[in-house]
Amino acid sequence: MPFSTQFAPTSQEVGSCIECGLCLPACPTFRITGLETASPRGRLTAMSAVLAGQAIDETFTEMMDGCLQCMACETVCPAFVPFGRAMEGAKAEIAVARNSMSIRIRRLILGRFLAWRAVVRLATAAAAVLQRTRMSVLIPKALRSGFRSLRPLPIWSSSRVGRTSKPLGEGRSRGTVGLMVGCVMDPWFGQVNDVATRLLNMAGYVVVTSAEQSCCGALAAHDGSAQDARRLAHRNASAFGAVDMVAVTSAGCGAHMKQYEHWTEGGDIFAAKVRDITELVADAIDKGWLPTVDRIAGPIAIQDPCHLRHAQRVVDEPRMILQAAGHEPIEIDSTGTCCGAAGVYSVLQPELSGRLGVQKAEQVRAAGPRIVASANPGCEMQLRQHLGEGYQIAHPIEFYADAIGIMERGHS
Amino acid sequence: MSSALAGELRSILGDDGVLDRQLELHVYGKDSGITRGEPSVVAFPESTEDVVAVVKAAKRHGVSVVARGSGTGLAGGAVPLEPSLILALTRMNEIEVVDVENRSAWVGPGVINLDLSNHTYSDGLHFAPDPSSQSVCTIGGNIANNAGGLHCLSEGNTVNHVLALEVVTADGDVIELGGPAPDPIGLDLRAVMVGSEGTLGIVTRALIKLTPNPTAARTLLMSFRSVEDAAKTVSDVIAAGVIPAALEMMDRLMTVAVERFIDAGFPTDAEAVLLAEVSGHEAAVEAEAEIIRAIADDNNAIEARVASDAKERQRMWLGRKSAFGAIAQMNPDYYLHDTVVPRTKLVEMMRNIYEIAERHQITMLNVFHAGDGNLHPLMSFDASEEGVIERVKAAADELLAICVALGGSLSGEHGIGLEKRDSMGLVFNEYDLDAQARISEAFDPDGSMNPNKVLPSGSRCFDFGRPIPEGTWV
Repeated sequence: MPFSTQFAPTSQEVGSCIECGLCLPACPTFRITGLETASPRGRLTAMSAVLAGQAIDETFTEMMDGCLQCMACETVCPAFVPFGRAMEGAKAEIAVARNSMSIRIRRLILGRFLAWRAVVRLATAAAAVLQRTRMSVLIPKALRSGFRSLRPLPIWSSSRVGRTSKPLGEGRSRGTVGLMVGCVMDPWFGQVNDVATRLLNMAGYVVVTSAEQSCCGALAAHDGSAQDARRLAHRNASAFGAVDMVAVTSAGCGAHMKQYEHWTEGGDIFAAKVRDITELVADAIDKGWLPTVDRIAGPIAIQDPCHLRHAQRVVDEPRMILQAAGHEPIEIDSTGTCCGAAGVYSVLQPELSGRLGVQKAEQVRAAGPRIVASANPGCEMQLRQHLGEGYQIAHPIEFYADAIGIMERGHS
Repeated sequence: MSSALAGELRSILGDDGVLDRQLELHVYGKDSGITRGEPSVVAFPESTEDVVAVVKAAKRHGVSVVARGSGTGLAGGAVPLEPSLILALTRMNEIEVVDVENRSAWVGPGVINLDLSNHTYSDGLHFAPDPSSQSVCTIGGNIANNAGGLHCLSEGNTVNHVLALEVVTADGDVIELGGPAPDPIGLDLRAVMVGSEGTLGIVTRALIKLTPNPTAARTLLMSFRSVEDAAKTVSDVIAAGVIPAALEMMDRLMTVAVERFIDAGFPTDAEAVLLAEVSGHEAAVEAEAEIIRAIADDNNAIEARVASDAKERQRMWLGRKSAFGAIAQMNPDYYLHDTVVPRTKLVEMMRNIYEIAERHQITMLNVFHAGDGNLHPLMSFDASEEGVIERVKAAADELLAICVALGGSLSGEHGIGLEKRDSMGLVFNEYDLDAQARISEAFDPDGSMNPNKVLPSGSRCFDFGRPIPEGTWV
């Protein structure tokens, strides 16, 4: 059947493509396969065919499922086609038209479990035990390499939600920042949230971590669980209704929350308040609210998460933060090609994801430094998996916190 | 028929090398132009041997072969019109050997133009043809269409940058045309192959001539109260013996559109803006920039300034290169024309363009390679509006006829393809066309290589031709 839901790609979105093909070389899946059917232009042509009455068949599903949703095409598009939005719409249509067991299971995990803090904590505790007992054989094969690239997990850590922390030092507060702690970000990458809170406090912000917040819904939206994505967007928008700004420590979550206008009433007003943590920290350094280190530290290779560089167009900030920490940022890739993590893509499309991961690892090795800064949890894990031993990978604000001497624990 | 062919292709290329499901075929039904067809099967060879096997299999099944690179062609050259096999060469993208001393490189046809220049940048070399689509289009496509670009005024088109070609013929034989020497012995079939749009054979490897990167460059921005003054400046510059690397003109509608899109610093009150770039040795570019500036002043330029630094220079060129994006913002559809008139007829041609645009009520913007008289009138429209396609087509035909009447040509660099095939009679008489058709017949006696392109039906005596199917001009 053709498109049937309210989320469907619209003829206006699809029709804005002028078919010039400038997106082709920017698209990682086109680059690897050489297939027009694995390019943004080809995928839009397919959406256009369905709009014209063609059924959502297996071919259509494969073409859409092959997309990383990295948004590199949006960066180079002269016609500003809202490709990411159209692709989320196509995914939502596929979920309805082809309601397979696999789709239903994913909907349960991405749309429900991730938003259920107790479930995430329980899974984290189990994973932490497996890490300590080196029993990774018990992990399903598809998840095993991902499991091995996790940071060391805490068996138990109290949740960071429902807290308020005051600005450090003298002076008036510069405003209230709501910290989005994230679903897996909080138990798996808790240190990044701790550092973010501390830096924001140092910069003069009150930080609140509303207990009402939930998973941002990005993974659900990317996978076509549109109703869940709507519910989660609505919940977060009301949870952070009263704050001046919302800080996000995961690039993937921030990119999605900046698109809440498509997912909830008044989402545009909410989206205008969303900042990636690197934007806030770089701004605070720029304004002199946070210090710059004089000492010269070593070079750090910088990896741009697609959802920071392409979706949010945040490029300079992570570099500036590393420089303020005394590090020299080393570029690894002038166009910011996807590392292949792409949310659940690495689990659903392991072959292409693996090839992109190997390519990214080669770029890092060629760049030289054995320290890498990445502002997204998925990318960090993908890098760790493909770089192997001997590389240190962390969020840019962790390197900064370390340089200014506020790191409470060591790097993972 | 085609499913048996698809099966045979799978045995040659593997499952991964063949597409034949309906939606996949639909996706390969068009390029960046406005014509749509529908292939029977798409094949992805990875070597010359693969191409030979695929061409032979297609021949056995009586299916014609249409070569395709990135699909950025604007004249429908890669559109399949009859049961055809699309030979997608994107996977033959190896840069094999770069010979820095002899400034040449063997490359596959699927190598992207800009990838080659980026690859050889550190050796101080680049591939000179630089069409606006250079970040996407392939070397194979550049060869097929004898592509030009901003710098073809001083550097020439693709034909001047290809030394040798390895070609798979319609029979599946592998032949080599040209050679490493700049002046090949025997008949220069290399030059015949360049610009033949896939109708003579499939280029599987090319020995490319690389050009040294310029050591110094100056960019000038000149604005004028009339198109006449700008055009006169163009002619005077060339007459003064200065050959700029690029010499581009934009009319007011275009500069307004660009400025609405990005801040390029173009004056929007001037009727025409010229961008010129001179490159070469430091002392030479300084002197040439001064000559151009003085000529612009003599022709009543409102302003003529040299970019003060690399940043301003980049901003000026970004403005020129964003013309396409600016158009993309205006309307969902566009038709980018490509014609040539003698430089001396630029003013007359521009007057005609404005007259045609007004009579057919079409928004027509102009951005073009003024130095060699290569015009790109850009029609911006919404195809869903009733009757607009007919008006665009009528205007396009009139433009062509006037160009030819002024002593110009059908295409500067985009090729003939399907779009201008039936206008070939405007510039060639029956003997001219017959000569071309006989060359085509010598290479491809069965008419199985990209049939129905370039030469109109009836070019050859006894040729009854095959009509274009209804509804392909969408």
